Amino acid sequence: MIVVKDLVRQFKSGDRTIKPVNGVSFELDKGSLASIVGKSGSGKSTLLSLLGALDKPTSGDVVVDGVSLAGLPDGKLTEYRRRDIGFVFQQFNLIPNLSAVDNVMLPMEFAGMRKAARLQRARELLEQVQLDPEKHSRRTNRLSGGEQQRVAIARALANEPKLILADEPTGNLDEQTGEHIIELLSSLSRDHDTTILVVTHDRSLAQKTGRCFRLQQGRLTEEVRTGLRR
Amino acid sequence: MSVLARSVGNAFRNKIRTAAVVAVLAVAIGLALAMLVANQAVGAKVQELNASVGTTLTVNPAGGQGFEGGGEPLTTAEAETTASVANVTSVVGTKALRLQTTTTTGSTDAATTQQAGPGGGFGPGGQQATVSTNLTAAVDAGTLGNRNNASGTTTLPARTLPITATGIGAEVDSTGKALEITSGTGLGDYTSSEAKALVGTSLAEKNGLTVGSTFTIQDKTFTITGIFDAGTAFGNNAVYVTLPEAQTLAETPDELSTMIVTVNSLENVDSTKTAVQDALGTDKADVTQGQRNLETAVSSLDSVKNISMIAFIAALATAGIIIMLIMVMLVRERRREIGVLKAIGARNRTIGLQFVLESLVLVALGSVVGAVIASLASGGIASALISSNTTTTAATTTQRGGGLAGAMPNGTVPGGGMPGGGMGGGQGGPFGGASQLLTSVTASVSPGVLAAGITAVFAVAIIGALVPALLTARIRPIEVLRGE
Ligand SMILES: Nc1ncnc2c1ncn2[C@@H]1O[C@H](COP(=O)(O)OP(=O)(O)O)[C@@H](O)[C@H]1O
Ligand SMILES: [Mg+2]
Repeated sequence: MIVVKDLVRQFKSGDRTIKPVNGVSFELDKGSLASIVGKSGSGKSTLLSLLGALDKPTSGDVVVDGVSLAGLPDGKLTEYRRRDIGFVFQQFNLIPNLSAVDNVMLPMEFAGMRKAARLQRARELLEQVQLDPEKHSRRTNRLSGGEQQRVAIARALANEPKLILADEPTGNLDEQTGEHIIELLSSLSRDHDTTILVVTHDRSLAQKTGRCFRLQQGRLTEEVRTGLRR
Repeated sequence: MSVLARSVGNAFRNKIRTAAVVAVLAVAIGLALAMLVANQAVGAKVQELNASVGTTLTVNPAGGQGFEGGGEPLTTAEAETTASVANVTSVVGTKALRLQTTTTTGSTDAATTQQAGPGGGFGPGGQQATVSTNLTAAVDAGTLGNRNNASGTTTLPARTLPITATGIGAEVDSTGKALEITSGTGLGDYTSSEAKALVGTSLAEKNGLTVGSTFTIQDKTFTITGIFDAGTAFGNNAVYVTLPEAQTLAETPDELSTMIVTVNSLENVDSTKTAVQDALGTDKADVTQGQRNLETAVSSLDSVKNISMIAFIAALATAGIIIMLIMVMLVRERRREIGVLKAIGARNRTIGLQFVLESLVLVALGSVVGAVIASLASGGIASALISSNTTTTAATTTQRGGGLAGAMPNGTVPGGGMPGGGMGGGQGGPFGGASQLLTSVTASVSPGVLAAGITAVFAVAIIGALVPALLTARIRPIEVLRGE
């Protein structure tokens, strides 16, 4: 259960301050798949970075399973990212000279898991995201965009996080591949009971998620829908 | 995949760049190692030189240093007193004689009398006995000597150089340096009176003598047991007999011309010098620390040592700076990647360690290549350093030695007190040393020195890599999300 309370993040640019996130509050249940839509520059990435402890809010708090991020020191925030969060980026952000398996093993290595165990889990995860087994050992800069994003999703899942934050995961992919990725995310949230929050500006993709939020002028509003799953 | 494996992998990410970096590092590390090897070899040589002759004191009769003659001769009893002074390891007495060739006219009286300093007062000590011999001197009288002679004693119309004969209590020359016997053997027991002698190479050549030949001093026949090489013309125009034999020839059984005192260690030389002086009395004896030219040699080698140490440190620092700059460049280049690692939960120290390890991989490769360079270059570098630093000394010393050889005929004996007496003898030391050093430097690329050098290189590399590694801690993972 993720609770976001009155989150504010402001930036100073020159003599004026902008508030891309200005009093955002919402709750997400465990295992839900939600999306955030909004115009470019509306503050979606800023909000996501606050939820993932990559950035600190000007005010407000994020409470994950009862633990407030506001009071945590940097070391604990690193641990939070390692244990509780999985990131999926628009640019995939894999380590290019490492193989797919090695990339997936990284978060597990940082968490101190034994080598044999992390190798086995990495292979299982790559199978789940349907990466061709013969590509498991291939360096990720030799994989296609869709394949790279599958590896990135497997890496995000590595430490069984409570929350997966995906920032425009289909932004660099063609329409069909993008659809596959969204389907993958939605099946994973079902199978793993993982909470997934996807940022997208693609309305049709947003339609496929259980809940859909819109970020506008720093405020988050939920789009009410009828007859959809979850 | 572990941190180490990742570091090794990253080190080879750009193979051409890695090769270039390793090559540059290898030059710096190779230079550092070569300098360290040179430094060690020179240091060992300096120690050896100091140990062999630097701990000697020379005792002369008081006033014997001057041109006035005078003073009471040293005695065997005083040698015993000296031997009992703390830190003295040995006392070797010498008795100097002047051998005058019997064919020289007009000197018959001089040849049999004991002089208390030649009339003109050229002789350094008053105790030098002149005795006759059938040997011919190997050194011609110099013009300076002639001039001095003209202004002084004029009793020798057709002058020949006297040959110096020294009675020695051990197998050392008149300055206390071990004799280098080139053929034959030493005199055996230097404390017994025997009709045996050692002659210098040039004197032997001049008189057609070899080991086993005989010659006479004061009509007594001496058998040559060995030929020695003192390294100088003057030093080789000399004869050594046992101390008691020389004392008998001079008819002064208990007298000594000089005593060569060996001190147990270099640190004790100064205090022992004072102690010996006190024990003998300032009115009886002059104690000097001989081998001034050795000090020059040692100090020139010391400067080689210092130069090589400075060069070692400079090359080491260069290697450190190269590493630092390369790693700063790599950190900047992989900023985004570092942000990703942090975003997915890597600790700052994990990332810092990864970069330090990566730099060590580069340094390890550089050290291997550098060690090869060092073993090939050490000899050349050391010889270049040594020859450029010792030529100056060589020129000056030779010049001085030459001048002295000319001035010698007036009765100066080696070690007899003229400042140059010791010069001639000591001169072989530093130069023999320098050439030996080259061989020893080439031979001394020892695993121990290399290991010490490489340890230093690694220590410096870690320091150099620490700066960029700490920089990674300041990269914020948010930059990843913001994109470029
Ligand atoms: N570190 C920052 N400093 C100043 N302005 C920032 C910073 N990060 C984001 N912004 C601004 O905040 C606004 C929201 O940016 P972002 O969250 O990236 O938008 P989105 O992801 O919705 O396109 C933009 O106007 C952007 O310029
Ligand atoms: Mg964005």
